[in-house]
Amino acid sequence: MSGTSPLDPAPSFHSLTPRKTEEEEEEELEETPQEKKLRLAKLYLEQLRQQEEEKAEAREFEEDQVAGRLKEDVLEQRGRLQKSVAKEIQAPAPTDIRVLRGHQLSITCLVITPDDLAIFSAAKDCTIIKWSVETGRKLRVIPRAKKGTQGQPSGHSSHILCMAISSDGKYLASGDRSKLILIWEAQSCQHLYTFTGHRDAVSGLAFRRGTHQLYSTSHDRSVKVWNAAENSYVETLFGHQDAVAALDALSRECCVTAGGRDGTVRVWKIPEESQLVFYGHQGSIDCIHLINEEHMVSGADDGSVALWGLSKKRPLALQREAHGLHGEPGLEQPYWVSSVAALLNTDLVATGSHNACVRLWQCGEGFRQLDPLCDIPLVGFINSLKFSSAGDFLVAGVGQEHRLGRWWRIKEARNSVCIIPLRRAPAAPVAGS
Amino acid sequence: MRKMQKAGARAKAQGSHGAVQSGSMAGDQQKDTSDMSFEELLELQSRGGPKACKQLAGRSAPKQSPRQPVCVADKHRPLEMSAKVRVPFLRQVVPISKKVARDPRFDDLSGEYNPEIFDKTYQFLNDIRAKEKVLVKKQLKKRRSGEEREKLQQLLRRMEQQETAQQERKQQQEQRLALKQERRALAQQGHRPYFLKKSEQRQLALAEKFKELKRSKKLESFLSRKRRRNAGKDRKHLPLSN
Repeated sequence: MSGTSPLDPAPSFHSLTPRKTEEEEEEELEETPQEKKLRLAKLYLEQLRQQEEEKAEAREFEEDQVAGRLKEDVLEQRGRLQKSVAKEIQAPAPTDIRVLRGHQLSITCLVITPDDLAIFSAAKDCTIIKWSVETGRKLRVIPRAKKGTQGQPSGHSSHILCMAISSDGKYLASGDRSKLILIWEAQSCQHLYTFTGHRDAVSGLAFRRGTHQLYSTSHDRSVKVWNAAENSYVETLFGHQDAVAALDALSRECCVTAGGRDGTVRVWKIPEESQLVFYGHQGSIDCIHLINEEHMVSGADDGSVALWGLSKKRPLALQREAHGLHGEPGLEQPYWVSSVAALLNTDLVATGSHNACVRLWQCGEGFRQLDPLCDIPLVGFINSLKFSSAGDFLVAGVGQEHRLGRWWRIKEARNSVCIIPLRRAPAAPVAGS
Repeated sequence: MRKMQKAGARAKAQGSHGAVQSGSMAGDQQKDTSDMSFEELLELQSRGGPKACKQLAGRSAPKQSPRQPVCVADKHRPLEMSAKVRVPFLRQVVPISKKVARDPRFDDLSGEYNPEIFDKTYQFLNDIRAKEKVLVKKQLKKRRSGEEREKLQQLLRRMEQQETAQQERKQQQEQRLALKQERRALAQQGHRPYFLKKSEQRQLALAEKFKELKRSKKLESFLSRKRRRNAGKDRKHLPLSN
């Protein structure tokens, strides 16, 4: 009785012997409340455990779906979402690079549609060609317009310096040296509107993600805000001291410009009508691209590539002579960096010059370092670089001349659009898993 | 009377807990408010003048330095400016420093003018001047007639005159030095220093000049010129002849 441990079942003789002494019964009765309590407690614990398990399951389920997605969005907004993609990238074989030829003169700029199905490219022959990514054929051609035609021009009559496509793939904007911005419907390539107002060649265009707001900049040192859907002009911002070379924007209502000979990179906060000024390059800053909402990469004509963060006025990382030197021994000059591109929210950056390669870089921890990854051989002036939104391929616009002038001419190069597939090596297995 | 009251208040405050009586003397300087109860503080505040309020306020709020120290992090942030200000077309590409003209006569940097020291340090200019004189003479040999010859002659004359003036100055300095030495020697010997009058100095100078002229045999011409000038001047003082 007292010797029995609490976990032992009720003694078997209890059922076998019909007659019990009262004392025994009493004793058993004394025990059973305790045991009953025990039993109830165990039951309760079991229930709790089950409940906790269910809760854990529910939590996991949620994390996978909704909460995770929300978290990602928030991080993206703050510019901290970053997937390390660079280490997995493998340099493609030269035969994998697809070359799309069709332009007569050097390609100046290109854009990829947000669904990664088509590429728009513009060249010094004032034409815009829409290519299909899968087949490599021309889908549409917007021919050059003759100068001095009556009415609205249905084409460009001077070099197209920049292009932009809205994030829903509806509108395409292109700017040329005759101070015009033409808005086209991306699907049918029909001309919709013309924006006049700039006083000099239009050198940079970008749509704000998720909207139809268009930012443009020009050699007249101003930044203008337009609305493509409503065919309206919104405002002008001033600040640059010399012709602006390039412009880029993401989903925030701000854009970033590369100031050229000015030597500054400026971030324009449009609702507050203010600008942040960054200094860092020594040469003329020719190209700029946003990596995420808080960081950007720029290239200059002294061969340097810089990574910037919004909280520091000097670059976080600076790589000089990113593409090497050329010229006679003793009079060596760095190769100009003519285009930069970055895969959104990752640490992969690509730069192009005319030293017969496209160089891929990896951004270090906190964007404080820039390490070269690999080179992709491509002869000619790489006038434009763009990553696809999924990160599957990189498109390079190649020409025989620099997109802004005719300082050199590489005869071996072909004026073409090159699609470079980016293969990702499968992630190495974690030890011990 | 008032001072005594103030002193009394001070003594009271320093001693025991501040009583309400100390609060009655509004405008007192030193008051130990930390010892007062809250009620008393409120009373002080309500009754006391601006000074009491300031005191209380100053005690409660931390004292802010007039110039807040700049955090190091702010220095590295990008400059934020307005985007609506139009930028002028012309901008300064190369930093140009304005040349500041300084007059060494009135500039403190040049120090005081001492002719002896000046001549000693700039002795090398005499050689340059001599060389230039030789050059001018050569040029003069080339040109025989015309405007240029006249200009060159004028230049040569000017240079020579400047040279003679410099020599004269030098001589005068030497004379002065000699006199000084004499005086020093006499003073050392024990005599009292003897300073010449202005008229005596002039007489001495005149005597020197006479000797010089006699040596260089220009005495006659000098004297005749002098007589002529004096005659002209004297003629002015004569009464007008009708």
